[in-house]
Amino acid sequence: MTTATLVHVVVSGLATGCIYALMAISLVIIYNATRTLNFAQGEMLMISAFLAWASYHAFRLPLLVAMLVAVTASAVLALLIERAIIRHSIAATHFDVLIITLGLSLMLRAGAGIVWTHDEFPFPSFFSDRPIPLGPVRIAPGSLGIIGASLGLMAALYLLFTYTRFGRAMRAVAQNQRAARLMGISVERVYSGSWVLASVVGAVAGVLIAPVIFLSSKMGLIVINGFTAAVLGGFGSLPGAVLGGMLLGVLENLAPLYLPTGIKYSVPFLLLIGILMLRPSGLLGRSLQRKV
Amino acid sequence: MRRLALASLGLLLLALPWLVPRYFVFLANLIVVNAIVAIGLNLLSGYTNQLSFGHAGFLAIGAYFAALLTIHAPGVPVPLTILAAGVSTAAVGVALGVPCLRLEGLYLTMATLAFGYVVSEAILNLDWLTRGADGLRVPVAGLGPWRLATDVARYYLVLAVAVLMVLAARNLVSTRTGRAFLAIRESQIAAQAGGIHVAAYKTIAFAVSAFYTGVAGGLFAFVVGYLSPDAFDVFLSVDFVAMIIIGGLGSVPGSIIGAAVITVLHDWLAAFQNYRPLIFGAILIAGMLFMPGGIARALRVSLTRGGGV
Repeated sequence: MTTATLVHVVVSGLATGCIYALMAISLVIIYNATRTLNFAQGEMLMISAFLAWASYHAFRLPLLVAMLVAVTASAVLALLIERAIIRHSIAATHFDVLIITLGLSLMLRAGAGIVWTHDEFPFPSFFSDRPIPLGPVRIAPGSLGIIGASLGLMAALYLLFTYTRFGRAMRAVAQNQRAARLMGISVERVYSGSWVLASVVGAVAGVLIAPVIFLSSKMGLIVINGFTAAVLGGFGSLPGAVLGGMLLGVLENLAPLYLPTGIKYSVPFLLLIGILMLRPSGLLGRSLQRKV
Repeated sequence: MRRLALASLGLLLLALPWLVPRYFVFLANLIVVNAIVAIGLNLLSGYTNQLSFGHAGFLAIGAYFAALLTIHAPGVPVPLTILAAGVSTAAVGVALGVPCLRLEGLYLTMATLAFGYVVSEAILNLDWLTRGADGLRVPVAGLGPWRLATDVARYYLVLAVAVLMVLAARNLVSTRTGRAFLAIRESQIAAQAGGIHVAAYKTIAFAVSAFYTGVAGGLFAFVVGYLSPDAFDVFLSVDFVAMIIIGGLGSVPGSIIGAAVITVLHDWLAAFQNYRPLIFGAILIAGMLFMPGGIARALRVSLTRGGGV
């Protein structure tokens, strides 16, 4: 194998990795605020990608506007779900909420299948197909675009969490809910906000990855890769989610070069089992002390 | 009163194949097989609070084991085949359960989900053994001189095994082991402080649960007669979870009710493939929000309110 192929594989792995990282970030945002896992995150991403595609085709909106429509719609969807369903189970255990979001993911996927069928559709991309030569290496502009957009979004999230009131409130709730409430933070508003923020991040990931993996009702399964990425980095840690996503993307792309090709789709699962067995707290995670 | 009810239920179950059309016998077989899985899953998830999304994987292992054993050693009587399927699946359960001991909650759920996925990929890729995506035709089960070639014959086999499994489960949950499971569900740390060997009992729960599912898998192979890896996908695991949620977590009768409800629902909705997950999702959400203890608790509450039986 030449170095050029290797670079190409690694770059496209990093691009997929960025998507996994965004997926992992949206899972972690909700987890940090509410201590629950949103199983429906992948399906919410799928719905927003479909909405972008539908508004692009039905109203002939420019691609960028269609994507903004999708991102807004995903925010509204998340708010509705949080207020209508999740809020009622605030006192429930994570087990209950997991089942509820599982039910949601079944419903969203079936709904998408009913409205848009279960076929695969090509999704328009901002980036041209012609590879950019960089010395001896040729790189797909799509990969660079995904990496650039994702890094931009991550930087924006970093600023949001560090410098805004809302970001600080979210971090406070993640650290200690009762203390946060005593400091006058509306925990409920942070719950809603986390759902909306996570959904927006997921929607961006959705419109970025849709041109690569095609638009279909099945694309919600990417939530498993996102979860693997988050666990890999240490669940609950945002930098960990980014690191885990990149690692997973690159490994998934490298594995078929050295192992049988069929292995590619099992990589996240095998990696997930492996990391859970060996180091459940992930690369950057800290193990938690629990009380009765 | 209770004895009378049980006796008439027993008679009804015995006479069922002669009372209903043939297709419903097949459906009854499926219900009973699913009920065994649901009981097994409930012992792990409902009693011990270890939520598994990988039981389709255990079912697949049991089913393929029984099918392959019957193909390569046709002389083995069917109870032995099914026992062997259960034991080998239990061994896999221990192999998965021991490393999973350090995992809790979400992590365990995701590990079992990944396990289920890896099993169906493995079946797909080991095509020299399992015939991969082509599927595997299961020979007719033999019991001494008899061949269990009809749905009615298989019904009695399935029913006999299920009765044994239900009685065993009812006994298990009222022994020291069952109480240890419940203690672990309420609080692992408190259970440990109370002198319960948490790791040992969690492993037992995994093994027993996998055994039940493996036995059900063996029966499933004979009931359906044809195995293919796509029958054992994640959605089947989700169905099993739905059964115990709807029926009632931590309840043996609840598991049976849940299995019956979900299996019949599947059958009714077969013509509306696209709407099925929509309805299932709605049921899961509604069940969690409005009926947290499942049908079992709802029944118990309404019975005690009405003066009891």
